[in-house]
Amino acid sequence: MTTTTERPGGAAPQETTSRQRGALTGTGTLLRFMVRRDRVRLPAWVLGLTVLWAYFANAIGAVMDAESLAGMATMAANPVMALIGGPGYGFDDITVARLVAGFYALYLMLGAAFMSITTLSRHTRVEEQTGRAELVRANVLGRHAQLTAALILATVMNLLVAGLTGLVTLGSTIEPPPDAGPSLLMGAGIGAAGLAFAGVAAITTQLSAFSRAGSGIAGAVLGAAFVVRGIGDMSTTQDGGLGWLSWLSPLGWSQQTAPFTLDRWWPLLLSVAVACAGAAVGYALQTRRDLAAGVLPDRRGSARAAAWLRSTLALAYRLQRPSLIGWSVAMVLAGVTFGAFAQPMQEGAADMPEDIVAIMGGAEGLLEGYLGFMGIYFALIVAVYVVLSVQSLRGEEQGVRAEPVLATAVSRTSWLGSWTAVTAVGALWLLLLAGLGQGFGAALGTGDWELFGPVALGNAVHVAAAWLLLGLAVALYGLAPRLLGLVWIVFVYGTVLSLFGEMLEFDQAVLDTSPFQHVGQHPAEEISWGAVGILTAVGALLVGAGAAAFRRRDLVTA
Amino acid sequence: MSSTESARGESPAIDISGVTKNYGKVTALDGLDLEVARGEVHGFLGPNGAGKSTTMRILLGILRHDAGTVRMLGGDPWRDAVALHRRLAYVPGDVELWPNLTGGEAMDLFARLRGGVDAAKRDELVERFDLDPRKKGRTYSKGNRQKVALISALASDVDLLLLDEPTAGLDPLMEVVFQECVREAKDAGVTVLLSSHILAQVEILADRISIIRKGTVVESGTLQDLRHLSRTTVTVSTDKPLTELARRQGVHDLHAEGRQMRFEVDAEHLPAIMRDLASHDVQALTATPPTLEQLLLRHYGDELGSAGSNGNHDDGSGTNGSGKRRAGKLRAGRNEVAS
Repeated sequence: MTTTTERPGGAAPQETTSRQRGALTGTGTLLRFMVRRDRVRLPAWVLGLTVLWAYFANAIGAVMDAESLAGMATMAANPVMALIGGPGYGFDDITVARLVAGFYALYLMLGAAFMSITTLSRHTRVEEQTGRAELVRANVLGRHAQLTAALILATVMNLLVAGLTGLVTLGSTIEPPPDAGPSLLMGAGIGAAGLAFAGVAAITTQLSAFSRAGSGIAGAVLGAAFVVRGIGDMSTTQDGGLGWLSWLSPLGWSQQTAPFTLDRWWPLLLSVAVACAGAAVGYALQTRRDLAAGVLPDRRGSARAAAWLRSTLALAYRLQRPSLIGWSVAMVLAGVTFGAFAQPMQEGAADMPEDIVAIMGGAEGLLEGYLGFMGIYFALIVAVYVVLSVQSLRGEEQGVRAEPVLATAVSRTSWLGSWTAVTAVGALWLLLLAGLGQGFGAALGTGDWELFGPVALGNAVHVAAAWLLLGLAVALYGLAPRLLGLVWIVFVYGTVLSLFGEMLEFDQAVLDTSPFQHVGQHPAEEISWGAVGILTAVGALLVGAGAAAFRRRDLVTA
Repeated sequence: MSSTESARGESPAIDISGVTKNYGKVTALDGLDLEVARGEVHGFLGPNGAGKSTTMRILLGILRHDAGTVRMLGGDPWRDAVALHRRLAYVPGDVELWPNLTGGEAMDLFARLRGGVDAAKRDELVERFDLDPRKKGRTYSKGNRQKVALISALASDVDLLLLDEPTAGLDPLMEVVFQECVREAKDAGVTVLLSSHILAQVEILADRISIIRKGTVVESGTLQDLRHLSRTTVTVSTDKPLTELARRQGVHDLHAEGRQMRFEVDAEHLPAIMRDLASHDVQALTATPPTLEQLLLRHYGDELGSAGSNGNHDDGSGTNGSGKRRAGKLRAGRNEVAS
């Protein structure tokens, strides 16, 4: 595109350019091109993370009084809280700023890491996989220009996140008003974690010829980084000997800066070092491999289809299976973790902020209240799965993989219906797993094994709300696939109302407009089977409408 | 289904008349007529963007036409899609496979969804097309993805093959294998609609040819029929130069090199010119029938003439034949990119 026309002079071979400069020729042009491509994506990530942080920074202070802060501090000493929060620097003399920095910043770090991983993948491996990189590389462009430009882009994004979250902290309603130094350090910690994972992704995108596998490996490293520092932090809060584990993780380094307590900047040097080392290894690997090739070999598969792969239902299952497996693992882990959290929650009830206790159904029956509330939380997560699945279905059509299937003796209704059925059953399965995990975790902590069944059931019945969203997504897909994204508005609306509605003191009438509000938070409340039936029926009707509309429209063709 | 069964063997395999398809303001098909008889291999020729794939997709019931009538194997492609698809196999010009299914899994799946796979035939074709069916879909080159779809289609027991530029990306050796396979299918009584802009392929395989341009079929018939519409290239050596030939009606692009002359003659004037030549002392004479390429170029040449600098139309009497032709080729190429 513009790459050729704009740099005729830069790469004149007779110039005495060093080898390295040649390898980077065109980086600037490419960077501008990437920014142009990401003109929506970049601000969405940066502002999204900033807004999320603004919410944490302002909302926590609003619901916490001195007493409840102390309660949180006690709870944070619990190993499970340390695992999902952090080492708890300064929690013995806790302030809102210390709580926010010591507990919630971790999730911004995760966000920044995901931002970096997807940015690197999108601008390097995805380009190679689609063959576009070949076109670009055929111009006057250095071998490392693409990776370098992507790394610069990720660095800029992380710097923006660091600066903005720092400023948001500084300008927040936190009492006492935070100082500039620690506020910016906290933002820098978030950005540094993102930067370190840009380095990790610079390596992992070289490994496999496929973007998904590369991002998957980077995601696994991120998961390991989370768990390793979690174990270290658990050990620290229990005065154990494994505290050093926290120092093996980029997330740990950012947390070890201990903003508002120790205020040390030097751990962030480790993150920068990892980013640089990652980039260096990435360059080295890229030099050794061919364009579009991976370092890891690709496995071969079966020459014949399994005997069961003979229907659209089987195909839908086969295509959704990898994602279902991933989601299943995540749901079990999350379920057990949140379940295990039930016991410390119950113990710390007396010290918890009243608003939060109220959401969980009051101090009486807090355990059931908490577990019931988590059912909604998991229903929301599964709703995400459901919508992503319908987006994948749209991907099948856009990727022209639907056409050859529909050119066989397969009706459109059965193609769409099979995919929807697998997703619907998958949603039920995932919520059941989450419920079983939660029941298990809760029973393990409290020793009350009678919780097991009700908690599993309480989670599973929430599938009706997810099915409603599935129906809505399928209806939109059938009518006008371009409008599929609208379903996210309904999702966000339901999320805000169901998770924060009571805290924000909305009317019950308003709260009732959320599809996640009606099933009942079992075991704290009775299950409303009527609501389950209605939500399911409406979902089914919407699927039917989507299928009817899909039969009438043209397929999207290449 | 019963109505389609009863019509078998009587109606044409494909009968399209006056079909229109618009995408918003863009007209993809503009009153298209196409008839394909049962058991014939029908070549469907045209440049990119002429409407070949749109026609195929209307036949598949993947797109819905705006006006006109379409019948295929006695049924309505939109309404009876599932029943009709049991009796046909389709190979698109750009095959996309699932990244984590192997080629073998994909071809089995397609064939099974169509109604069953002939495992022996499949294995034989895998061998002939020299494909490794154990590789994941994402690792195949374009040519190999084509092979997956081709093998799956050719291994199915169907009445009709819809092949939309099926050999794009195949090497010449595989092209030959493909031609063998299509001939075998024809011998087995299968109707084939083969779209292409690989002219040689269609010339070799097709019983009849339709040429599509801007959503309309502009010529249809056997290669023989179409040749009547075009010019024969004549090279002749005579004792004395035949200078008056240049002024004869129907003669174009005359070149004289010493005693040898080369020119083109409109088919309708060929007998008169030949009679004329016979009265001279002809020492050597060759007459070459037009290639399909020339036929096509003539169609796009029409448009080039009106759009071009010298304003020549249909039987434009330009004398710089080869130069014009080269220009025409370039222009045709650019048209393809633009569309």
